[in-house]
Amino acid sequence: MTPPTVLRADDLSLAYGRTTVVDSIGLDLPAGQLTAVVGPNGCGKSTLLAGLSRLHKPARGAVLLDGQVLARLPVREAARRIGLLPQSADAPDGMTVADLVRFGRQPHQGLLRQWSEQDQRAVDGALAAADVATLADRRLETLSGGQRQRAWIAMAVAQDTPVLLLDEPTAALDLGHQLEVFELLRGLAAAGRTVVVVVHDLTSACRYADHLVAMLAGQVVAEGAPREVVTTDLVRRLYGVESSVLRDPVTGCPVVVPCGPAA
Amino acid sequence: MSAPTAPVSPVAPTAAAPVQALAASTPVQAPAGTLLLRLGRWSVLLPTRAAVGCLLLAAVLLVATAAALAVGTTSLSPVRSLPALVGVGDPTDVLVVQRLRLPRLVAGLLVGAALGIAGCLMQTLARNRLATPGTVGIDDGATAFAVASVVGVSTSLAPSAMALVGAATAAALALGLAGGAGTSGYRFVVVGLGVGAVLGAVTNLLLVRAPIDAANAAFPWSVGTLNARPTLPVTLLALGLAVCVPAALLVGRRLGALRFPDTVAAGLGVRVRLVRLAALAVAVVCAGLAVAVGGPLGMVALIAPEAARRVCGPRGVPVLGSALAGAVLVLAADTVGRTVAAPVEVPVGLVTAVLGCPYLIWLLLNSRPRRLP
Repeated sequence: MTPPTVLRADDLSLAYGRTTVVDSIGLDLPAGQLTAVVGPNGCGKSTLLAGLSRLHKPARGAVLLDGQVLARLPVREAARRIGLLPQSADAPDGMTVADLVRFGRQPHQGLLRQWSEQDQRAVDGALAAADVATLADRRLETLSGGQRQRAWIAMAVAQDTPVLLLDEPTAALDLGHQLEVFELLRGLAAAGRTVVVVVHDLTSACRYADHLVAMLAGQVVAEGAPREVVTTDLVRRLYGVESSVLRDPVTGCPVVVPCGPAA
Repeated sequence: MSAPTAPVSPVAPTAAAPVQALAASTPVQAPAGTLLLRLGRWSVLLPTRAAVGCLLLAAVLLVATAAALAVGTTSLSPVRSLPALVGVGDPTDVLVVQRLRLPRLVAGLLVGAALGIAGCLMQTLARNRLATPGTVGIDDGATAFAVASVVGVSTSLAPSAMALVGAATAAALALGLAGGAGTSGYRFVVVGLGVGAVLGAVTNLLLVRAPIDAANAAFPWSVGTLNARPTLPVTLLALGLAVCVPAALLVGRRLGALRFPDTVAAGLGVRVRLVRLAALAVAVVCAGLAVAVGGPLGMVALIAPEAARRVCGPRGVPVLGSALAGAVLVLAADTVGRTVAAPVEVPVGLVTAVLGCPYLIWLLLNSRPRRLP
């Protein structure tokens, strides 16, 4: 039983000028699942995410959202269906957490529909979900890196899109908050959203993702359930590292223990 | 989020029943620091501080207007000047107020508002507080073209029209050389600085090469003055503002999201290039029409948005506040310029620069330490 595909990359190539960064990728992102994209630095993960969220125009191929070509959708409609949290974004000075999270509602608002019950519910819910409700009136520049990161996640959650793409959302977070963010994303996926997340930590990816996509040099080299995909071979191929892949005694998920650089 | 299986999504239909039930029983409230105006399905959300700030600036503008009408070579108390405004009272008062001070007042109001809006939009779209029509060469372009037309063939309209053409040329040059509106703010500002320097040199070259009479006639275009402006450019500016103010308010709302990086703004459904081009177009029209009336008024477009941000707070882009602050600034500076060394008149452009710069430095030194936007 395979879940229906919501977002699909169809022979997708993405380039900066003449440099091709993502090369003819075909990818089906299953609905209601948490997909983790892993790979070494510079393998094209972030670019793939930008392409999937229509911010990077395809050099070739297309991104399909529910079977429609994403690039042909009206911009605001696309923003109601796909949310993106880019890597380390800056906010203007003086903005509070609540101000930031309210911006997530912008695609749903109009000139004369600037604040509805639905907006309020989404913002309050997102603040609670990302555990920043108590920080709502704090200015962003007075927060720690991790708190700020969670405020941005709250904004993406408030956007209330069926598809949510996040680029290293756990990068600045301590262990506890990393877990909270992954639990939050799992909750979103369980509620039917398609969540795609770029992560560096393979073990977290194995623990929380339903679906793992491993990228190397602009191409997908492995794809599938983490416990089937993650092997010592894959780790060596991706990162040039010898490792032991153990089984978590509680969950049975793969745990990657690096041993040293590959010979 | 303690238990791994806790329903964390408030917006999901199945998982968030408690949150929704709670929300359904509470009516819609304005978020902290905002005013919510609701009428049926329609709702408008205003930052409280910006609304109060605009009212405050409007009150100051009223005072400045009354002062501008009352003060001058013949001082009239408001008891005499205000009735004279509608044609009641001593015929001399009526003449002074209606024929001499009112046109100048109107010109000052409009020029100040236009420069304030232009500055606010430019600063926001370049994400840089130094980006104003003056610093990116629009003032210089307008001046160079106006001076060229005065030095060449002098008619009453030509310099104003040429100023507008010059403003548009400078903006197009800066934009074209910076590689379009989609590029980052810094590049546009630096290219604009270069364009402005070249056009400023052209102005000086023209003034040096021109016969002394022509150079004298062209001089006001290089400092900025509201003395005896022809009616047509003022009318054009009024018409332009009638279109540009609503446009600026609309664009300003979208620009709010453009204070984020482009990726975030685009992810929120903002058509980044379109909004940026629209904001730039409105800014160029405002600045061009304003310079066509009064010449380059130093610093107004830099100071007005800074003051407006101070008064209206960091929520939103202070388009209206900048317009009001600009109008106050130009009116006050012109009133000072008319009276401080009477009967000799100090051009308003010099006053805004001389009084404006210390004010700007004071503003910057007094704001809490923070990063440049």
